[in-house]
Amino acid sequence: MMRSLWISKSGMDAQQTQLDHISNNLANSATTGYKQSHAQFEDLMYQTLRQSGANSSEQTQLPTGLQTGLGVRAVATSREFTQGTLQQTGNSLDLALQGEGFFQIELPDGTTAYTRDGSFKLNADGQIVTNNGYLLQPGITVPANAKNLSVGNDGTVTVTMPGSTALQNLGQLQLASFINPAGLDPKGQNLFAETAASGTPQTGSPNSEHFGTLSQGFLESSNVNVVQELVTMIQTQRAYELNSKAIQTSDQMLQKLGQL
Amino acid sequence: MDRMIYVSMAGAKMNMQRQEVLSHNLANVSTTGFRAELQAVRAVPVRGDGASTRVYALDTTVGYDDTAGPINFTGRALDVAMRGQSMMAVQGLDGTEAYTRAGSLVVDAQGNLVTQSGLPVLGDGGPITVPPDVTPSIAPDGTVSVRQRDGNVTQVGRLKLVTPEAKLDRGDDGLFRSPVGELPADPNAQLQDGALEGSNVNPIETMVSMITAARQFETQMKMIKTAEEDERVAAQLLRNGG
Repeated sequence: MMRSLWISKSGMDAQQTQLDHISNNLANSATTGYKQSHAQFEDLMYQTLRQSGANSSEQTQLPTGLQTGLGVRAVATSREFTQGTLQQTGNSLDLALQGEGFFQIELPDGTTAYTRDGSFKLNADGQIVTNNGYLLQPGITVPANAKNLSVGNDGTVTVTMPGSTALQNLGQLQLASFINPAGLDPKGQNLFAETAASGTPQTGSPNSEHFGTLSQGFLESSNVNVVQELVTMIQTQRAYELNSKAIQTSDQMLQKLGQL
Repeated sequence: MDRMIYVSMAGAKMNMQRQEVLSHNLANVSTTGFRAELQAVRAVPVRGDGASTRVYALDTTVGYDDTAGPINFTGRALDVAMRGQSMMAVQGLDGTEAYTRAGSLVVDAQGNLVTQSGLPVLGDGGPITVPPDVTPSIAPDGTVSVRQRDGNVTQVGRLKLVTPEAKLDRGDDGLFRSPVGELPADPNAQLQDGALEGSNVNPIETMVSMITAARQFETQMKMIKTAEEDERVAAQLLRNGG
C-alpha cells in the first residue's frame, strides 16, 4: 500500500542478513583457519517518475529528475582472506601457512577441496589426514616406526628411521593458490571448493613465489576481529531499529488516512 | 442502497482472509520443516451491461514458498535436515507416498522408523525397520545404519530422498504430493544429520503484511460507514419531503 512500508521491510531484512554474518563470525572466532565474511548491500532499482534531461520546453531541459528508490538488498558475501595470527601448539603435524596458498584435501568422492586449517593427524595407515579423515594431497605416507617427523618451511617432510642417523625425505607438500580466493565456495568443515569465479588453482611448493611459508608446530587462528564485530553489531541493531521506526511512522500515517 | 457497500464488503473479507493466512504462517514460525503459504489477491470484475465500474477483490493461496529455512544443530542422531530442495518420502495415512521436510525421526515400538506424527518413513524398498537394542545413525546420503552392542555396524536401508523439479501440492495433512504420482529417488540428494530445519516464514514480511491488511480493513470499514451515512441522509431527505 505505502511504498515506504516495503522499503523499510527490505532494510530490516538486510540488517538481519548482516547480523547472520556477524553471528557466524563470532561463533567461529576460535576456528582454525576461519576467514571472516560480511554481507555487501546494493540499492534496488529506481522507479523514474520524471526523467532527468527530458525536454521541459523546446529550449530547456530538466536539470534533475524524480526517482524513487525501492530499498536495499544483500548482493554478496565478501570474505576477507587476511592472515590470522599464529598460535604455537607444539604438535609435529600442526602446520600454519604464512602468506598465500591453501592446502589441498582429497574428499571421499574424489574431488579436491582447499583449506587453511593445518591441524593434521596420521591415520591408521600412516597417511596424513585432516580432522575428518580426508587425505592431504599430495599423499605422504609416514612409515610405522618413523621418529622426529619434521616439515620444513618449504614443505619437505623428513623423518628419521631407527638404526640410522640420516634424514629420510618423504616428499614435499604442495599448495594451491587462486586468482580470486574470495570467489571460493565455502563447503563447511573448514573446506573451500573451486568455482568458476575463483579461477583455476595454481599449484606450487611453499616458500616459492606466490606462496607463503609453512610453520610446523603452529596453527593459524581465525582472522575475526571481535571488537570490530561487536561495533558492527551495534550499528546493525540501530539500523534495524531505525527501519522499524520508519515502518511505525508509515503505519501511523495510514492510520490517519483511515480516520478521515 | 449504494452498491459500493458490496465492493467494500468484498475488500474487507479479502483482508480478513489475508490475515488468516498470515496468522497461519506466524503460528508456524517454529514448526520444523514448515513452508510458508503464499497468497495473491485477484481482481474479479462484475459483468453486466455498461462500463465495468465494480471490481471485487478475491484472496487466493497460490502455493508455498520453497526457500530453505534456518538449520538448527540439535545433535540428536535421528534428526535430519535436507539440503537444497530435497524432500524425504513418507507414507501418508491414505497409503500414498508423500514428501516432507520435517526430519525429526523416531523408532516406534515395532521398530519402524517413523516421523514424529507416526508416519512410516519410506526407504528404497518400502518402510524402514530397525532391529531392537541398537544405536541407529543416518549418513549424509540417507543410508540408515545401526550399531549393535558388540560394535558391529550394519546398514538397514536408505532413506528415499527426492528433489522435485516442479512445485508440489500441499495436502490437507500438511504433506506434499506430486501431481504426477511418485517421484524417483535422487541419488545425489544430501542431508545433514544431527540438525533440524526450521520454518521458512519471514517474520518481518509477515508483520508488515499484517499492518497493511489491518489498515486496508480500516479503510474498507470507513467506506461501509460512508455508504451507510449516505443512505441515512437520503432516507432523511425522502422523509422530510413527504
